[in-house]
Amino acid sequence: MKRIIISVILLFTFCVNAVDKAFFEQVIIHNIEQSIINAKQISASIKQGKTKKSQMLFVQLVSNWKKVEATYVLGDLNEDFLDTPRYIDIFHGNNEDIKAQLDLIISANDDLSYALYRHSHKTINALEYLLFTQDLSNTRVRSMALIMAKSIEHYLRNIGSAYQAHRSKFVQDEQFASAILLNALVSSTYALKEWRIGDVAGLSKKYKGHADARRAEYAISQNSVMAILSILQAHKQAIDASSHKDFGDVARKFGATKEINKTIGFLNQAIAQVEKMQEQDLLNAKGKSLYQSTNWLMQSYYLSLMNKLGFVSKVLDADGD
Amino acid sequence: MLMAINPLEYLIDPHKRIYWVFLFSSVVIAAVFLWLNPKKRRLNLSKKLWLHPSALLDYGYFIFISIFKVLVIFPMLIGAKEVALWVNDFLLTQYGFVRIEGFSYTQVMVFFTLSLFVLSDFSRYWLHRFLHTMPWLWAFHKVHHSAKVLTPLTFYRVHPVESLLFGLRYSLIVGLVSGVFIYGFGAMIGIVDILGVNALAFVFSFVGSNLRHSHIGISFGTIIERFLISPKQHQIHHSKQHINVNFGGFLAIWDWVFNSLVLSKSVNRIKFGIKQNEMKHFNRFHQLIFSPFYLLFKSK
Repeated sequence: MKRIIISVILLFTFCVNAVDKAFFEQVIIHNIEQSIINAKQISASIKQGKTKKSQMLFVQLVSNWKKVEATYVLGDLNEDFLDTPRYIDIFHGNNEDIKAQLDLIISANDDLSYALYRHSHKTINALEYLLFTQDLSNTRVRSMALIMAKSIEHYLRNIGSAYQAHRSKFVQDEQFASAILLNALVSSTYALKEWRIGDVAGLSKKYKGHADARRAEYAISQNSVMAILSILQAHKQAIDASSHKDFGDVARKFGATKEINKTIGFLNQAIAQVEKMQEQDLLNAKGKSLYQSTNWLMQSYYLSLMNKLGFVSKVLDADGD
Repeated sequence: MLMAINPLEYLIDPHKRIYWVFLFSSVVIAAVFLWLNPKKRRLNLSKKLWLHPSALLDYGYFIFISIFKVLVIFPMLIGAKEVALWVNDFLLTQYGFVRIEGFSYTQVMVFFTLSLFVLSDFSRYWLHRFLHTMPWLWAFHKVHHSAKVLTPLTFYRVHPVESLLFGLRYSLIVGLVSGVFIYGFGAMIGIVDILGVNALAFVFSFVGSNLRHSHIGISFGTIIERFLISPKQHQIHHSKQHINVNFGGFLAIWDWVFNSLVLSKSVNRIKFGIKQNEMKHFNRFHQLIFSPFYLLFKSK
């Protein structure tokens, strides 16, 4: 009898976890590993002073890093890692003018290990500035870029190791895993809509009517639209993948088929729009239309969330007293 | 839909007051009570009680209102989901995106469950109190109080207007609480439940909420009755002499704080119903539906 009970429990555990494990491996781990590879390659390229190649690798790094960021659930698995993305990327999280500070450091003679003492000096945003506005043949610039790339790689590796260490925490509780993943997607959609599109197009509350292309995430390298596409592709990996059980499948299991299909529809619509966009389109009607699509996407995530909480839509017996 | 308008579904749905488990637990509690109080057996087991015209009216009315709710009342109601979405959207627009960190999933679940339960009970208290103190609402609530005998199905002897108000109350409160929690915690919220029902509501329903509408006068004692409404306290609420006291649902704290609490020990004799001259308007099925409108029109 005991054996049967254990077998049933193990079988149930396997059924519940198997697909989540595939999602964890094929999305979370895959994306972080890709970005670590990109960071490593970029270091090698910088060391060799190859500007064009470094710029090309930077684009790949941004693409994979944005995917990691869009589905970042590590902070919920271990709160020590809540702020780790800030050591890699300071978009909308820092009011410093790092360009001026980096210019000062380039023109000074201080030891770089002291000069680049701030985390913000070693982020992907700082690296973008150096790779796309400075000359890599300058030894000091090259050394600075190398320190930045190494720092990014270091934090990406930390994230990768921590994900591996917390794999069981993610895969053992499907409900918890879905909750933190959905939170990551909602938060990513808000940042996408308000900061990456709305602030640039002058559609956000903060910058209503005042469009400015300089507010785009990768305005210097002109990779902002590509970054947006990567974020949306990460959402696609999370809710509409054919290779693994994703959040869409979990939502359907909870009876939210209509809602999740609607969400996927808005996501596909946004992806189709971004694929036809250039950087300058963020300022015109295409940007406005994308803003609207991401707004619908966010609303629709919230609707899926409500459905997960099925109790809210059910009128409880509470009358007649 | 067919399932939804089947009154028998009430027996198998844990969200319903007369879910078979709650009925069963109430029967067990009642059996123990009657075993300890032999004098009460005669009344509680008599045909006179269970086949009383008022009880028969409750049974028939229950079938009507369970179908009417699904076909007419629910479609008119704004859902808790819509309210929650609106609240979340309002907070997002006003204060931007916020994610409260530092609480475990379990802590948020417990806090959310508790908030839902307490605020829902609080709003229930006040709506119930308004149903008694506002003349035009009392006209509709009289339907419920016109029962001369109490059975678990008296719980459903409620005018459609009152059902609508309770449905709105539910949507607004659950929507408000959910919207605020979703804004702060996103998907990290859930409910501590038993069979899909708020665990606290389940426990209170399990420990004899069906006895509120019965002749089993169980008291919880002077101290507990200041915190939790006992079946006897609700029966006092149904008595002609104490109709404007003990409005509480599960918790008695609101009655205590807002001076409407009456403890079981202070009332010996209970006669259910409303004033004699008003009872004649609530003896038949059609009267339960139309009398409130007629009486309101006549009083103008």
